[in-house]
Amino acid sequence: MRITVNQQNVFVATGGKEFNPELPCVVFLHGSGLDHRCWALQARWFAFHGYSVFAPDFPGHSLSAGEPLTSIEAMADWLIDALETAGVEQLHLVGHSQGFLVALEAASRLKSRLLSLTAIGTAAAIPVNPALIETAREAPMKAADMMLQWGFGQATQMGYSAVPGVQPIAVGRQIMAANPLAEDLQACNDYTQGTVRAADIMCPTQVILAGQDRMTPYKTGLELAKLLNTEAIRIESGHMLPIEAPKACLNAMKQFFTRL
Amino acid sequence: MSKQNNRSSYLGADTIALHAGYQPEPEHGSRAVPIYQTTSYVFESVDAASALFNVEQGGHIYSRITNPTVAVLEQRVAALEGGTGAVCTASGMSALFVTFVSLCSAGDHIVSAGQIYGSTVTLLKHTLKRFNIDVSFVDINDSQAVAGAIQSNTKLVFCESIGNPGLEVSDLPAISDAAHQHGIPLVVDATFATPSLCRPLEHGADVVVHSLTKWIGGHGTAIGGAIVDGGKFDWAASGRFPTLTEPYEPFHGINFWEEFGPAALTMRIRAEAMRDFGAAMSPHNAFLLLQGIETLNLRMKQHVENARQLTEWLQQQENVAWVNHPDLESNPTHDVASKLFPNGAGSMLCFGVKGGRACGAAFIDALQLSSNLANVGDARTLVLHPASTTHSRLDDEAMIKAGIGPDMIRVSVGIESIRDICADFTQGLKAASKALQKQQEA
Ligand SMILES: Cc1ncc(COP(=O)(O)O)c(C=O)c1O
Repeated sequence: MRITVNQQNVFVATGGKEFNPELPCVVFLHGSGLDHRCWALQARWFAFHGYSVFAPDFPGHSLSAGEPLTSIEAMADWLIDALETAGVEQLHLVGHSQGFLVALEAASRLKSRLLSLTAIGTAAAIPVNPALIETAREAPMKAADMMLQWGFGQATQMGYSAVPGVQPIAVGRQIMAANPLAEDLQACNDYTQGTVRAADIMCPTQVILAGQDRMTPYKTGLELAKLLNTEAIRIESGHMLPIEAPKACLNAMKQFFTRL
Repeated sequence: MSKQNNRSSYLGADTIALHAGYQPEPEHGSRAVPIYQTTSYVFESVDAASALFNVEQGGHIYSRITNPTVAVLEQRVAALEGGTGAVCTASGMSALFVTFVSLCSAGDHIVSAGQIYGSTVTLLKHTLKRFNIDVSFVDINDSQAVAGAIQSNTKLVFCESIGNPGLEVSDLPAISDAAHQHGIPLVVDATFATPSLCRPLEHGADVVVHSLTKWIGGHGTAIGGAIVDGGKFDWAASGRFPTLTEPYEPFHGINFWEEFGPAALTMRIRAEAMRDFGAAMSPHNAFLLLQGIETLNLRMKQHVENARQLTEWLQQQENVAWVNHPDLESNPTHDVASKLFPNGAGSMLCFGVKGGRACGAAFIDALQLSSNLANVGDARTLVLHPASTTHSRLDDEAMIKAGIGPDMIRVSVGIESIRDICADFTQGLKAASKALQKQQEA
């Protein structure tokens, strides 16, 4: 669906069903340079199993207009505005990588409106190598290629795909080719509140980590789980978990949501 | 729609050809890709089944739609071309049909190169016309003619990277510019080129179609086709593609562009064309084609080298009236060929035997190593005399009009030892010369 947030046209994927603010809402937040399509498979399952799905493209990304936001805090403020526009009261937050930093920051604004928090392939802090940020500024496609090489795990690098006939690296590459990257990476690097915010989380949480993660290493994910006082689930995949291991990722989420 | 390099993998092309899409499966560790000779797949549960049917999860339901062996081939072809996805079909013709009808509906229009494979001409000119999809044939390397033929209902520009049978190379960057200026995608049949010699997506094409039957399979054992989605074309910005950007009712109103973006065309073809038309590739054929693809780069080197040497040799033969190959300066598209095909423009060549129709036939009948048949792209050398076979109903004048002289021999140069091919052709030319003498005496 399309909504207007701060006078900008914004695209929000709803998992193939019309958005119904009356249903329990699951909000999916994408990572650096990506868009709602990394949730294509998980979002559809939730939309067809009694939830309403809200998976926005952040400003300046893919189908959303506007300039990219430059801090995690600004992204969290924007998300609150977007949820307001759509009439979402209570919600579950799911974030991949940078999307989880936004979720953490938004949690402090949502307080009791937040029903649960899911972290996927991420950590409480995502420091980014300054050389990568510089490359993203000077030659964004080169930086995207570096990230796609680190971001996808061994099987995907060998051309394996969970969806028959599709090449996930090429899909990611086409999405990243058109999206802001340096701004996203800088925002990740600058965000230092993660540890504090994580300690304040009161709602149920889950942490799903990738065993072969080279962007937000498995170990730092374990530290996040500790901060959130929860067990981490390990899936053998690269950092791009929702795309690389969509089924395992969804199964972990389903189990968590049925326990709530 | 930039012309930057498309890529699906960071492996080298030779590694992709051997490995992409398959890793030894955990149960038995089969090193070769197993043949999943099955029609269907057991569902884990009712819930899992419904998730598969509703595209909530990837996986296999029924082999008309996907099959694990075929999927390896699809991922390998996509990776070799640098596409976001591929769908394999029962033949090259079904790949073309599926592409055309996935992008066009009744009332739409296609701009096509005139110099293309005969069955594709028939499909466009007669078959699709019955379903009210129109075509305009143009001189594809005349950008003005391409632009001039585009109408408000045009959905795609089509050409072959190397035209069959005229061996004209299409100037893909110029053609794609003309198409993109009108918000229209370029679809390229790259059968004669293979991704080993030219990757059309890197030169502005948006969709690549292959007859895998030819050089990719390479051994004359299996018929098959593939459609590769470039993933770069903005279907929504173009505004011409309701099949991709508007809700598709049979799948709960799914919007392929919004949900799958760069893989929208792949997903649409899978959801509609494979389900409804059912031109599925058999797993066994996928296995045979995979055997071929593994040595594609090696074979293409030898194909091209043999074609180069045979071209040179033919040019020196007294009984040869003319020789055509895109790498020859006399070919009208030689400049384009040297830009797009730095390693050689394929292994098809044509030549004329002095003395016309009867001498051409005599040449073919005297050959022993080369096979007289209606295929191209086998590892073995194949020859055909169109005037005695595919075009035998045309008189000399009509054949010349069709761009095919009565004396023309079409050669798909194989990878045998070149001296043996030349020895075989020496026999053929001797027989042709005798036939010419007889003609002159009569
Ligand atoms: C350029 C070209 N495209 C498509 C086809 C059709 O392929 P198939 O025979 O696999 O259906 C051919 C067959 O000769 C061809 O030469």
